[in-house]
Amino acid sequence: MPRITIDGRPIEVEKGVTLLEAAQRLGVHIPRYCYHPKLSVSGNCRMCLVEIEKAPKLVTACSTEAADGMAVLTMSEKVKTARRDVLEFLLINHPLDCPVCDQAGECGLQDYYMEHSLAKSRFPAEDKVRRQKRRVLGPHLVLDNERCILCTRCVRFCSEVTRTSELEVMERADHSFIDLKEGRALDNGYSLNIADICPVGAWTSRDFRFKQRVWFLKKTPTVCLGCATGCLTEVHHNENTIYRVVPRPNAETNTWLCDAGRMTYKAVQAGDRLAKGVIKNGLIDLEPALRETASRIDEAHGALAVLGSPWLSVEDNAALARLAKDALKTADFSFDFSAEQGVKDGILINKDPAPNAAGARRVQAAFGGTSFAELSAKVASGAVKVLVTEARAAALLKDALKAGGARLIVFAANRSEIPAGAYATLPYASYFETPGTFINFQGLERRTQPAVTAAEGVKPLWAMVNKLAVYSGTSLRLESAQDALKGIDLK
Amino acid sequence: MPLRLTDDFKAKAARVCAAYPRKDAALIPLLQELQREKGYVAEEAMDALAAFLELPYARVKAVVTFYTMFNRAPVGKYHLQVCRNISCHMAGAPGLLARLREKLGISEGETTRDGLFTLSSVECLGACGSAPVLQVNEHYFEKMDERTLDALLDDMRHGRLRAADF
Repeated sequence: MPRITIDGRPIEVEKGVTLLEAAQRLGVHIPRYCYHPKLSVSGNCRMCLVEIEKAPKLVTACSTEAADGMAVLTMSEKVKTARRDVLEFLLINHPLDCPVCDQAGECGLQDYYMEHSLAKSRFPAEDKVRRQKRRVLGPHLVLDNERCILCTRCVRFCSEVTRTSELEVMERADHSFIDLKEGRALDNGYSLNIADICPVGAWTSRDFRFKQRVWFLKKTPTVCLGCATGCLTEVHHNENTIYRVVPRPNAETNTWLCDAGRMTYKAVQAGDRLAKGVIKNGLIDLEPALRETASRIDEAHGALAVLGSPWLSVEDNAALARLAKDALKTADFSFDFSAEQGVKDGILINKDPAPNAAGARRVQAAFGGTSFAELSAKVASGAVKVLVTEARAAALLKDALKAGGARLIVFAANRSEIPAGAYATLPYASYFETPGTFINFQGLERRTQPAVTAAEGVKPLWAMVNKLAVYSGTSLRLESAQDALKGIDLK
Repeated sequence: MPLRLTDDFKAKAARVCAAYPRKDAALIPLLQELQREKGYVAEEAMDALAAFLELPYARVKAVVTFYTMFNRAPVGKYHLQVCRNISCHMAGAPGLLARLREKLGISEGETTRDGLFTLSSVECLGACGSAPVLQVNEHYFEKMDERTLDALLDDMRHGRLRAADF
């Protein structure tokens, strides 16, 4: 295995490791634009030039493999000059857009300019090459060709990750620009990753543009609940409003994040968010809604059933199990969801659109209950008078409910989720507002963290269940999410 | 309107493809073939060729736009390409260009109304030793001056294109 030194520090790496990767292992950051750990090496930006002792010219660290005996210098005068000169080249035609550019604050050009250049431009602004600005390309992206430094990260992303190959560099020399087929939109389900990997402000997100300056954003690490893949994400928010969701790259599940997953935050601050209960079609305050719901439950005299939900956290499913077992005293409850799982497009999106079928099965293992088919048959037979479940899970029993005519009581976060014919709906805090435990399709534990706080009175689902139980005369003693998790083996 | 590749072209293309280990390596020779047939590579032709070679359209377009020798619009019968790089420039290329502009009444990138001439200025043609150089279609005319240029234009107007005698 090659042994090299980087700035005098020795390191031994496997064959094939590049100088840039080796430096990274020593904690030495070599500036780069076109290099991306998950894309092929292109070597076009020249920002990562380093010196190798006894080598006649500087080499690109991203594309040079470590070889035995190399003495690499990343901070020599030659390297510093090269960085300054490369930046000067990149900035010749870069517009002075920063005050109105959405990338400002997380821009590779700004950062490296401050770090490695600070030189005044020797080129008059009026000689800059002008190009088309603000091209809307597809549902999620805007392209500003003037700001582009032609690193081709976006081109490689489209050809290597999504394999849709929409983008290419057209023309050559200082005529070149990124383009795609005329009339075609950039809509491959993962297009917003391009806004993330673009090191400058050329690609920006239509959803995020001009909503918030990035330096105001607070970051909360959490999990995407868009499907069973359970990608790690980071929610960017400020003053109790979420502005965007970006991936938190990790070895187990994801480097990227799909467009649909990024948009899941919309529901949290949508206009139809429920803060009150709904009885039939009318909004009523929470307490009367709970009272009404409890009396319907009492009326049913034990002809009750509870269905968990693969969209709810383990805690909330467990609370529903406790409700069934301890408060409603029924054996007709099920947490058995067996949708087919597995990544369906070869990138991230899972066959199972629900995030927590595996977690629900853990609840089933701890509390027992019937299979989904048995519960469905019982509901269809008309033996169940009241069914308590979550709004999206209710859709799984749609036909059985129609046949059996049970009264439907659901928990829902948004009004649009409420299934037709639901008798009572109770609101609950979304997982952007409350912590929750999920288990993804690989069996990995995923925990959400609250980024924003819920509207007043809107509580996590386990707390709503606790209240509902009190109204129907039993205390479940659920004081915290931890109480709900008791007795469940997450492994 | 989608363009359909002729059977003749497809037969040629199959032979070209057979010469390479990978189908996409045939891209440039086939673009040249398309240009030979029509004088230029139309947008629809890029589409058809992309489908034929199973390449993304953007790849074909990128190659066509990278190489300036591919014409993206119809050109005249005679495509006059004046080298404007340093050797030719110092040997009088600007004068040639100006004379052509004046005599043909067009500037670079344009075609005369009769469809006879298209004027372009191009980068180094690799014949610096005999600058200034003018390329007409695929023929080089070297050490050009006003006299030889006028004679050449005259010849072409009469449908004769022969290598200039020096």
